[in-house]
Amino acid sequence: MKITDACVYPYPVGDSSIRRFALEARSFGYDSIVAADTPAAEVCGITVIPGIFLAGIPAKDVQSRVKKCRGSGAVIAVQVGDNGFNRAVASTNGVHILRGIHAADKRAFDHVAAKIAADNNTALDIDLSPLIFGRGHLRQKAIHRYIDLMILYRRFEFPLTISSSARSVLGMRAVREATGLCSLFGMDETDVQAVLAGVSRVTGPTESVVKVIT
Amino acid sequence: MSIRPPTLREKRRYLLARIDPAGMPVETKDLYYAVYEAVVSLFGDMAAAAMQPSVLAIESGHAILRCRRGAEREFAIALSTLSTCRDCTLAVRVIAVSGTIESLRERIATLVPQEPDVPAHDGAGEGVPDADPCEYRFGTTPVEPVVWHGHKVDVIEKGFKNTRRLFLTTEDLEKIHATTIPDGL
Repeated sequence: MKITDACVYPYPVGDSSIRRFALEARSFGYDSIVAADTPAAEVCGITVIPGIFLAGIPAKDVQSRVKKCRGSGAVIAVQVGDNGFNRAVASTNGVHILRGIHAADKRAFDHVAAKIAADNNTALDIDLSPLIFGRGHLRQKAIHRYIDLMILYRRFEFPLTISSSARSVLGMRAVREATGLCSLFGMDETDVQAVLAGVSRVTGPTESVVKVIT
Repeated sequence: MSIRPPTLREKRRYLLARIDPAGMPVETKDLYYAVYEAVVSLFGDMAAAAMQPSVLAIESGHAILRCRRGAEREFAIALSTLSTCRDCTLAVRVIAVSGTIESLRERIATLVPQEPDVPAHDGAGEGVPDADPCEYRFGTTPVEPVVWHGHKVDVIEKGFKNTRRLFLTTEDLEKIHATTIPDGL
């Protein structure tokens, strides 16, 4: 079980190199990070997982992009859209994470989409950046979405991940700080520990539902 | 109000927090306003009044903060949402919580090296490379190191336009020697 920050943006998108991110992640208590447009590597004892973040493209294009990226070992995350899009993407084999639920419409992710995500082992991402950098309505909306998400999570038990979406090491938060921030929408420490291992849950080998007993 | 006797005073807790990035000049008053804004925007005026957040001192890149006993967890959460202080991007990382300021000062003494102004280019210590004749490059960009902390190096891009601060490691930097002839010459 690896404690993973599900999204960071190293240089040149951000202002910190991937090595620096890895150093900071180690001091913050993480085992691995998912970094955008970065090759897989082991840096300073931290596993760097390449991340492909898709946004603003239709569901059909998502499928073709996922086919191209299959077998690369990258974590594929897709920005959420409307309800139909989310259901289609959640059922797409190869999509690991749905991101950006904090900015989505309140009807964008309902119980049907949650059931599909749970069946297909597709994770929903909890982005901490609107809680850290957002103020007023933006943060209130994000907390509201996450509270709704937690209700669905407790019912359907789909995977969750936590990401800082940090473009700088200053935007990263330690595991202890992430636990505190997640307590704002009703997550306890045990939940956070399980959710931080969400990336290894969605990228690891899938367990068969049916067990053959001989 | 007159000062109450010690048994009637409310109990307080003191937090030690590291200010990132290192070497950032932060005024106590500016940090107090930033902390107070973070607490009020997250928990509201009622909780802020009950929490009584305060910044007591900034010493060696560390801040000593104060709140009422029992509110330190909420205070730490609010501190983790602090990202700017007077238009400067920073992060406040809570290191320790204590009942006395003295113990936090002792903790700072263990955290801060004795001679912080000694440059350490081999990645062994901490400091500001003020008299370093070498020039460095990150990729193709010439950069100027401003803070070294072990393997961590904060640099500033050289140039007229893009002079943002970059957070790198010693492995990311490449020394430009005087004998190096750039490509294309």
